[in-house]
Amino acid sequence: MSVWAALQVMTLVLIVVGAALAVRLKDLLAAVIALAAASLLLSLAFYLLQAPDVAIAEAGIGAALTTAIYVLAIRKTHRKEEE
Amino acid sequence: MIAELSFGVAAAVMVGFMVVSVLRLAIGPTAADRAVAMDTINTLVVTTMVLLGAAFGQVVLVDVAIVYALLSFISTLYIARYLEKGAR
Repeated sequence: MSVWAALQVMTLVLIVVGAALAVRLKDLLAAVIALAAASLLLSLAFYLLQAPDVAIAEAGIGAALTTAIYVLAIRKTHRKEEE
Repeated sequence: MIAELSFGVAAAVMVGFMVVSVLRLAIGPTAADRAVAMDTINTLVVTTMVLLGAAFGQVVLVDVAIVYALLSFISTLYIARYLEKGAR
């Protein structure tokens, strides 16, 4: 397995871990942070697949805009998810 | 060839650091720990992009890393503002 394939596999495993955390965490702010981390790593995966324009779009929308909107929504509502 | 491989190995080491940061993201007790872990992942992703741009030998890929560094700052800013002020 070459170095590039190992990089892609590690990045994809990290994306799955981040997405599972975003689903499982009960603290919604922590879930948003995990979602942002998964989005960042998804951008890196696009970059590894030689698609830098898609990586820029994913960084702008996924990392910056989505996190900001979710944090604003949490500020207006509750932070903890009810059981 | 050797230069490409060494840049690739350096990028793989950075992704290994990301694994440790995701571990902190998973077990971090407070939200501040998780925010710092996400910011560390941000910086490591920018570093990996610069290293891979050097490995692929294309200057335009470094521009992606610069734009990324500018944009990733915003999410950390919003989370930090929420942690400072709370719900109000």
